[in-house]
Amino acid sequence: MAIDRIFIAGAGRMGQGIAEAAATAGIKVDISDIDSDKLDQGMAGIESSLDRTIERWALTAGEKRIILSRIKPVMDIQSAPEADFAIEAVPENLDLKKTVFASFDEHFGDRTILVTSTSTLTITDLARATGRPDRIVGMHFLFPVPHAAMVEVSGALKTSEETLRAAKSLAGRMKKRVIEVHEYPGFVTTRVMIPFINEAAYAVMEGVADAADVDEAIKLGFGFPIGPLELADMIGLDDLMILMESLFRELGDFKYKPCPKIRRLVRAGRLGKKTGSGFLNYAGGEGDLR
Amino acid sequence: MKILVLNSGSSSVKYKFFDALKNLCHAEGQVERIGLGGSLLHHKRMDGDRIRTGVEATDHAQAIETVIATLLSRNHGVIADKTEIDAVGHRVAHGGEKFTSSALVTEEVKDSIRDCIELAPLHNPHNLRGMEACEQLLPGIPQVAVFDTAFHHTMPPHAYIYAVPYILYRRYGIRRYGFHGTSHRYVAARAAEKMGRPLEDLNVITCHLGNGSSMAAISKGNSVDTSMGFTPLEGLVMGTRCGDLDPALVLYVMGKESLTVSEATAMLNKHSGLAGISGISSDMREIEDEAAAGQERAVLALDIFTYRIRKYIGAYAAAMGGVDAIVFTGGIGSNSPLVRARSLEGLDFLGVSIDTDVNAGCLGCDAEVSSAGSRVKVFTILTDEELVIASDTMRIVSSFQQQRG
Repeated sequence: MAIDRIFIAGAGRMGQGIAEAAATAGIKVDISDIDSDKLDQGMAGIESSLDRTIERWALTAGEKRIILSRIKPVMDIQSAPEADFAIEAVPENLDLKKTVFASFDEHFGDRTILVTSTSTLTITDLARATGRPDRIVGMHFLFPVPHAAMVEVSGALKTSEETLRAAKSLAGRMKKRVIEVHEYPGFVTTRVMIPFINEAAYAVMEGVADAADVDEAIKLGFGFPIGPLELADMIGLDDLMILMESLFRELGDFKYKPCPKIRRLVRAGRLGKKTGSGFLNYAGGEGDLR
Repeated sequence: MKILVLNSGSSSVKYKFFDALKNLCHAEGQVERIGLGGSLLHHKRMDGDRIRTGVEATDHAQAIETVIATLLSRNHGVIADKTEIDAVGHRVAHGGEKFTSSALVTEEVKDSIRDCIELAPLHNPHNLRGMEACEQLLPGIPQVAVFDTAFHHTMPPHAYIYAVPYILYRRYGIRRYGFHGTSHRYVAARAAEKMGRPLEDLNVITCHLGNGSSMAAISKGNSVDTSMGFTPLEGLVMGTRCGDLDPALVLYVMGKESLTVSEATAMLNKHSGLAGISGISSDMREIEDEAAAGQERAVLALDIFTYRIRKYIGAYAAAMGGVDAIVFTGGIGSNSPLVRARSLEGLDFLGVSIDTDVNAGCLGCDAEVSSAGSRVKVFTILTDEELVIASDTMRIVSSFQQQRG
């Protein structure tokens, strides 16, 4: 399938990452956000991510200009041109995502495939907000999107084979390996990773070892490139807590319930790498909470 | 037989339109800035008519469509109908071990070229794009792929096997392949012509110095060694490519800076060479200007660039047991008297001496620049890879058509 242009709703971290990865793959991107400041920040975020990529020698200044020229901020969905895919990357909230999907359904022509980036909500519930349940698909991108080598693709109840194939070819263009998963909250990655992080947090809270040592044990012991607590800090503890609560609500199992240590860090404003400290401290961060 | 020769790069398509029977070029040009916005077409007809115009070229297909439309144009064109194009010849960077000569493009040939993408990631994908565009735009017209690697297939194993576990050669085809073969082959033959001696009697060292640079040792008409290797990254210092280095430094830097394979690959391919040393430019003209103005790192870049060439000349003279001619070609080789002079500095012991005035005056021309008494002849020769591609294309298409009856 020829993919020329995509639309992204939500210029947060996920939206930025999807936009950057798609534009790097030569796809034109229109990106919007309900908040015009967020949209500006989103564009600036994409640019600084590309700058970091240049610093790591993976990109040249000329290539960066080309990539940026493919990404256009649009103030609202009404001014967005037709697209092959419309992707929602708004916060993990069922009602909000339904509203966005309904607006996609209204604005875009029949051939546009609607994509949700959710990992914890039920895609079939979202599909009900539209008149095209066969052209709805879940694509769970992982953070940081430009560098994550895989994406989970999931159909809803009525998703057509053609739609699934199209989603896979979009992932292929973005050079991501597709893991096809059945529609189920958390898919594989979030479902397996969350109890893993939670258990690591309990180990710290119960004084088994400090955060750095927990991570070090897992990294060296099992050959993981990153420990669970650094991963939590990278995701952002506030976003992580939303994921956990959403899974806990959907699945009802206590293993998904956020460990009190995570709540405490969020309450203290220690949200991970973005604030300079979380379970661990990062350059420029405040003192250690341990 | 009229042949369109295409050289599809990452953001440009260069073309020449030949009457291959008469060895006559009717028109040439290029589309620049493909996919970058503000694309430009330069077109020159051999009667002197020239145009330079902005065009729409978001991809290679659109660029080639523009080329064909220009060839057909009433005011600037050279043909009245698309069917006058009898064949298309493509320059292809990497043919692996599979291709020892040029080949008619078939699905199988395209698959083999695709298999070589990992070996030449900066080039092969664009070459394939050019072929696919022609299939759409000129359906049924035969196409021929002419490989940069093919000329070097005569290298002996001691020149192409690396001293790493031999199983890697078997498993991944890791060996020296070499590139710019069409250019090395052409300029060596031209040098022999100019000397009035058969190429089979000569040892020639050819220096193709452009944005990518390589040298070849050509003994009795056969390539016996060349400076580019498994990829076009090895050998000489280039615009943005590092050329030879200690392989351990790559591993060391990857560890120090936690670089991924693709980051390290881009570092060596796009951020090194003249650009990496100087921090100014990948363009030798700018390096020369800055060096003349005393800019320290530009001086250093120029020193490293020419020293590396000098070392290779010594190595290849030794490898062949002597040298009869040294040829400079490519954008830098043809246009930089300074690079030629600096590269040959101190090679009197080898019998190389240049005529300083002739050399200084030779910009973009075919000339002998060695002094009258020089035992080794030095030439600058304008390469014409397209002409070689056109004649290979004609030969292969003719024999294919004869077979088909």
